Amino acid sequence: MKKIIAIVCFMITAQSLLSQININLTLPGRPPARLSEWANRRDVLTLIMGSSQAVRFDVKIKTEIKTLDGTVIGTTNLNTAKTYTPLPGASTILNALDVLPLENIVFTGKHQKALQKTGKLPADNYMLCVQLVRVPDYAPASAVTCKTFYLAAYQLPTLMLPANEQELNRSVAQSAITFRWTPVVPASTTPVTYRLLVFEILENQKDIQALRSNQPVLDKNIVGTTQFIWQPQLSMVPYTSADSLSQKGKKFTWTIQTLDNLGQPLNPTDGNGESMSEPKVFFVLDKNRSRKSD
Amino acid sequence: MAQVSNKVSVSGTMGISYEGYGLDRNPAGWTGYTPRRPWNQVRFNFMPNFQFGKNFSLPFNINLAALPTNFAGPYSGFIPGGPKQNFKQWMTNPVNNIAVNPKYIWAELQLGTQYLRYSELSTGDIGVFGAGFDLKPGQYRIKFFTGTSQPGINYFAGPPLPGITGAFKRNNWMFQIGKEKEDKYEVAFNFAKGKDVISSSAPPPLTIKPQEGFVISMVTNVHLNKGWYVKLEGAQSVFTTDLNTASTLLIKSFEPFIKAHTATTRDYAGSGAIGKKGKNFDIGISSKYFGAGFQTVGYPYLQPDRLDYTINTKLNTWKNKMNIVASLGQRVNNISNTTLKANQFIGNLNWFTQFNDKWSLNVNYNNFGFQTASGLNPYGIKNVSNDLGISPTYTWSKTKMMHLFSLSYNYSKYNERDVLTGLTTSNNTHTALLTYVPTYFTKDVTPDFSLMYFYNDVPMAKTTLATISSGLSMPAAKKKLQLRGQLQYNLTQLNSFKSDNNLIASCSVDWKMTRQFSWNTYLSTNYFKYGNSIIPNGANYLESTCRTGFQYKFDTKKNKSL
Repeated sequence: MKKIIAIVCFMITAQSLLSQININLTLPGRPPARLSEWANRRDVLTLIMGSSQAVRFDVKIKTEIKTLDGTVIGTTNLNTAKTYTPLPGASTILNALDVLPLENIVFTGKHQKALQKTGKLPADNYMLCVQLVRVPDYAPASAVTCKTFYLAAYQLPTLMLPANEQELNRSVAQSAITFRWTPVVPASTTPVTYRLLVFEILENQKDIQALRSNQPVLDKNIVGTTQFIWQPQLSMVPYTSADSLSQKGKKFTWTIQTLDNLGQPLNPTDGNGESMSEPKVFFVLDKNRSRKSD
Repeated sequence: MAQVSNKVSVSGTMGISYEGYGLDRNPAGWTGYTPRRPWNQVRFNFMPNFQFGKNFSLPFNINLAALPTNFAGPYSGFIPGGPKQNFKQWMTNPVNNIAVNPKYIWAELQLGTQYLRYSELSTGDIGVFGAGFDLKPGQYRIKFFTGTSQPGINYFAGPPLPGITGAFKRNNWMFQIGKEKEDKYEVAFNFAKGKDVISSSAPPPLTIKPQEGFVISMVTNVHLNKGWYVKLEGAQSVFTTDLNTASTLLIKSFEPFIKAHTATTRDYAGSGAIGKKGKNFDIGISSKYFGAGFQTVGYPYLQPDRLDYTINTKLNTWKNKMNIVASLGQRVNNISNTTLKANQFIGNLNWFTQFNDKWSLNVNYNNFGFQTASGLNPYGIKNVSNDLGISPTYTWSKTKMMHLFSLSYNYSKYNERDVLTGLTTSNNTHTALLTYVPTYFTKDVTPDFSLMYFYNDVPMAKTTLATISSGLSMPAAKKKLQLRGQLQYNLTQLNSFKSDNNLIASCSVDWKMTRQFSWNTYLSTNYFKYGNSIIPNGANYLESTCRTGFQYKFDTKKNKSL
C-alpha cells in the first residue's frame, strides 16, 4: 500500500512539474524540403514556451524526428544543446533555429546519408516531437508535443521542345515555335506559374552570357499547362550577310522559371536560387537555302 | 649584330553599332504587349589579334554595351531607368566583356573576363573577371585562373519594378593539371571554387543566400584506333547553400578548401561515353549521373538528381544518299528519393533520303514521355509527346534556272494528365508548309516564297494560323551592296473570334565601302492587329527595330616587317 501511495505521489509531483511549462508547437503540413531552410523562415516552425511563476530552472529542447511507425531517425544531442531559462509567468517564442539546430541533431542510417548528400530527407511522412527537459538531469519539464509533416523536394521542369541545339526551319519558326517542358514534381498544392523566357544569343556572346545579360524576346507566364505556342513576330533573317551566325541562322536560348502562387521562385534554395531550369539553345535557319547549297 | 626580323599581322574585327527599338500601342494606355528590346543600345567590339612572328600573339576580346539589360541572373534588374551600376559592376556585368590573352608559344596569359570551360562537371558556364594562365609545355597542361564572377549588388525594391534582386560578391578560382596528346588521350584533374562575401551587399538580397562551393573532378578521354573513343569524368562537390548557417562537425568538410555548415551538401557526379566514329557510321552510348547534392558554382543552372543514358547512331548509306540519325534514351529524375521519382523516355529519328536528282524525302519522329507516381495527389503526372514530320522536296533545272519545291507536314500530339481528376488533355497540332525557291543561273536575284498552315486544337481553344511570306536577296552597285528583304503576313484565328492580322517586313543593306570597311543596316517592322479575341477589341501595335553599324575587318594579308 505504501508503494502505491509513493507511486501516486511521484506521479502527481511529476505531473505538476510538467505542467509548469506548457509548449505549443506549430508546423505546416508541408515545410521546405531542405532542413537548413527552416531556420531562415520564421513562419515554418514556432514553439511557444509558457511557464508558470513557479518555474526556477533551466531547460533544453529535446527534439526528435520520427518516421510514422515511430522509429527515431534524428534526435538532439542534449550535451551540446543550448540551455534556455524560461521566464516565470511569461511566454517565450522560439523557432527552427532553436528547436531544430542541425548542428546538434544527430541523424542515423540512410537519413543521415541523405541529409549529408542532399540537405534533405527522403520524401516521406515524418513526425517532429519536442519536449523540454531540465538541466542538468534531463528530466521531463514539459509534455511531449508532436506534429506530422510531409517532405518532398520540388524538382524543376526539364526543357523538352525545342530540344537542345535543335535546328528549326525558319519558314515555320517565324510564325510559330512550340515549347514543351515537364511539369514541376511533385505537383504543387497551389498553382505554379511557369515563366517562359527566350533570349536571343547575339554575335560574340556565350549561351549563358546571353541569358544573364540580354532582355528576353519572350517573357510569358503560363499557368496550369506545360506547352506554349509562341508566335515570335520576329524576322529571323540574319542581321548582316557577314554575320557568322548566318551559317546557322539565329540562335536562341530558353528556360523556364517556376514561380509559386505568390510569384516567388518555387525552389529558392536549390541551384541558381531563381528556380530556373537548365537552359537549352535552338537555331532558326533557312533549311531550304542550306539544302539548295548542298 | 644579327638583324632580327619579325612579321606582324593583324586579323579580327572591330566595330560600333546602334540598335533602336520602337513600340507604338493602340488604344492609348493599353499595355497588353510589352517591349522586348532596349529602346536604345550602342555596342562596341574590338577583337583584333596581333600576331608577332610565329610565336607571339596578342588577341583582344572587348565587347561593350552602353546600357545594361539584365533580366536574369545576379545582375537582374539593371535595366535602363533603374539604379546605375558602379564601375566594378559595369566591368563584370556579362553584357560587357573585356579580355586580352597574350600568348607566347605554349604559354598563355589570361586577363579580364574569361569564360573558361575546364570540363563538363567542374566549371564552364560562368565568366570570371580576373587573371590566370594556360600553360601547355609539351604534353602537360597547367591552368589557373582567379577573379570575381560577380560583384556585390545591393538589393533594391524599385521602382522601377521588378527592382534589383541583388547578389553577393563571388570570388572564384580554378585550377587544372593534366597531360594531353592531341587526338590520343587527355587526363586532367580540375579544381574549382567560388565563395560569396557575406558583407558585400547592403541591403543583402532577399531571396539569394551567400554560398560557397568547391568541386574536384578527374577527366579521362582516350581516342583509340578505328574511331573508337572513351570519355570519362568523375567529380565530387561540396556546396554550402547558405553560409549564414552554423558550422558543423556532423558533415565532413573538405579542408583546407571548404568548411562544412549545416547547409552543406557533399555529393558526386559522373559522365561517361563510349563509341565509334566513322565516315559512314557512328554509334555511341553516353550516360550522366548527377547526385542530388551535386552543385558547382561553374554551372549554376545545372539540374542535379538525375541519371541520363542515351544511345546515338548515325548512318550514311546508299552511296551517301541516305542519312539516318537516331537516338534513344531515358532520364530518371530523383535518384535520391527526396521527391517523387520521374521517368522520362526520349526517342528521336531523322531519316533523309535523296532518291534521285529531283526527289528527296526527310522523315523525323520525336517522342518523349514523362511519368511520376501520384504522391499526395490521386493521380501521377503522365505527359506524352509525339511529333511526326514528313518533308518531300522536288527540284528540277532548266537552262536558265533551278526550281525547288518543298512540302513539309508535321503532326504533333501532346497528352497531359491532370493529377487531380485523372483526365487527359490532348493537344494536337498540324503544320503544313509549302516552299518554292527559284534560282536563276544568269541573275543574282534570289527570291523565295512560302505558305504555311498551322492548326492547334486543345479543349476550349482552337487556333488556326495561316502565313504567306516571301524573301529576296540580291547584290547591287557592282556587288558592293548586298540587299535582302522579307515580307510576311500572318492571319490568326482563335475559336470563332475575329482574326488577328500581322504583317512583318524586314530588310538589310550591307555596303562594303572598302575591302576592310563595311556599313551594315538592318530594319524590321512588325504590325499586329487583334480582332476581337482580347479586350479592347481591335487593339494593335507597331514594333520597329533598327540596327546600323560600321565594321572594320583587319587585313590578315597585309604583313609588315619590323
